[in-house]
Amino acid sequence: MQAANRRKTIGLLVGMGVLMWCVVYAALTYFGGSGAGIVPIAVGIALISVWGSYYGSDKLVLTMTGAKLIQESDNPKLFDLIQEVIIASGLPMPKVAIVIDSAPNAFATGRNPEHALIAFTTGILDAMDRDQLQGVIAHEMAHVANRDTLVSAVAATTAGAIAILSDMLTRMMFFGGRRNREGGGNPLALVISLVILILAPLAAMMLRSAISRKRESLADATAVSFTRNPAGLRSALEVLAADSTVVQQRSTAVAHIWIESPLDSKSVSKLFSTHPPIAERIAVLKSMESLG
Amino acid sequence: MKTIIVLGVVALIAVFIISQYNRLIRLNITVDEAWAQIEVQLKRRADLIPNLVETVKGYAKHEQSTFDAVVTARAKATTATTVADTAAADGMLTQALRGLLAVAEAYPDLKASTNFLSLQEELATTENKVAFSRQFYNDNVRELNTAVKTVPSSFFAGFAKVSEREFYEVEDPQDRKAPNVTF
Repeated sequence: MQAANRRKTIGLLVGMGVLMWCVVYAALTYFGGSGAGIVPIAVGIALISVWGSYYGSDKLVLTMTGAKLIQESDNPKLFDLIQEVIIASGLPMPKVAIVIDSAPNAFATGRNPEHALIAFTTGILDAMDRDQLQGVIAHEMAHVANRDTLVSAVAATTAGAIAILSDMLTRMMFFGGRRNREGGGNPLALVISLVILILAPLAAMMLRSAISRKRESLADATAVSFTRNPAGLRSALEVLAADSTVVQQRSTAVAHIWIESPLDSKSVSKLFSTHPPIAERIAVLKSMESLG
Repeated sequence: MKTIIVLGVVALIAVFIISQYNRLIRLNITVDEAWAQIEVQLKRRADLIPNLVETVKGYAKHEQSTFDAVVTARAKATTATTVADTAAADGMLTQALRGLLAVAEAYPDLKASTNFLSLQEELATTENKVAFSRQFYNDNVRELNTAVKTVPSSFFAGFAKVSEREFYEVEDPQDRKAPNVTF
């Protein structure tokens, strides 16, 4: 199960690369030499913006979500549960934070296991019992173990570069930057490149969401390998599914990091969703339970 | 040209040997660390017991045999050194503690006391930590033993002075309880 999810992530990342290549190809067909100059600029902008936030992800997310770091003395019971998962996974102890919000949710971030941060809303701490919370913690630590901050940073960089690139190129079209206006090239190739440029950002976003969904399924599977208790995480997800309140801040920028999507599921179509449907995740965990 | 190829091949072989060697050493260290973690958690549990027994005694004076079982098991657990002895004592103590908590069930005053409740929570998390450290240790022993026995890493086991390690197997009757099937 974990291996299959990893393979699919790699496949999707390769898909991103192919898409990037298509955009570059389209740029070259349409604009010739002047199009080539834009590629490094777009990649550069995307790299700087995403990797800056990747490197400081633990601090940045704290500000964006309003989470407050806590010490062991603030909530010894929560720290006990985290230590249990730490022992089971062999990972270093993460920083722990609390978001004051009655909607039950949790997230993990940090550029590597040594700089990991996991956060919980006050809502999730109130709503869940020992086993459920242990499952949630294991899910978050699984994100840390699988280095999902890195994976999503790579996905965000590529998707960002594609978006910037197509945006710049479409603008250039309006200013008539195309070479050999009279000579033309193969008209079919020109039309195809135009279509690619318009559709690429959309496709990149879909791929990015698909990667996020795969990483969620992978984290569920990894969490079970830590606790050997699929029932805990399953009943935690059932609590989340039954609860209709959502975390107050609805920024799409950090939507992918929560255990349950903070965005209203009705407003997000399945292709662009950062999380697999919760019923599907529950069904997978149930099948693990029956395996014993 | 030829020398470059030869050097390249030699470098590749060296990298391969070093990575195999390092992997074995790293696995061995992880097993050591996992073992240390088990000992830390067992010690923590042993430290909890006197307090727990005293608290239960305050409410349930007539359960001497249960207390004796816990105290004997604790003594065994704190003196065991080998993996097998520690595991056996650990299993015994887990059993004895279960007996103690079962006794507590019969005393509502005890169950309601805050001291007992906090001890019970402490014991629950410690039991989990013991179980998880066991699981982490056994997972790593399995990986190490596989590496020691399978090609190509098995070629380097002698050189790295790494050998198979012993699993931590706890005899727990509750785990083995087969369901009663009647026809």
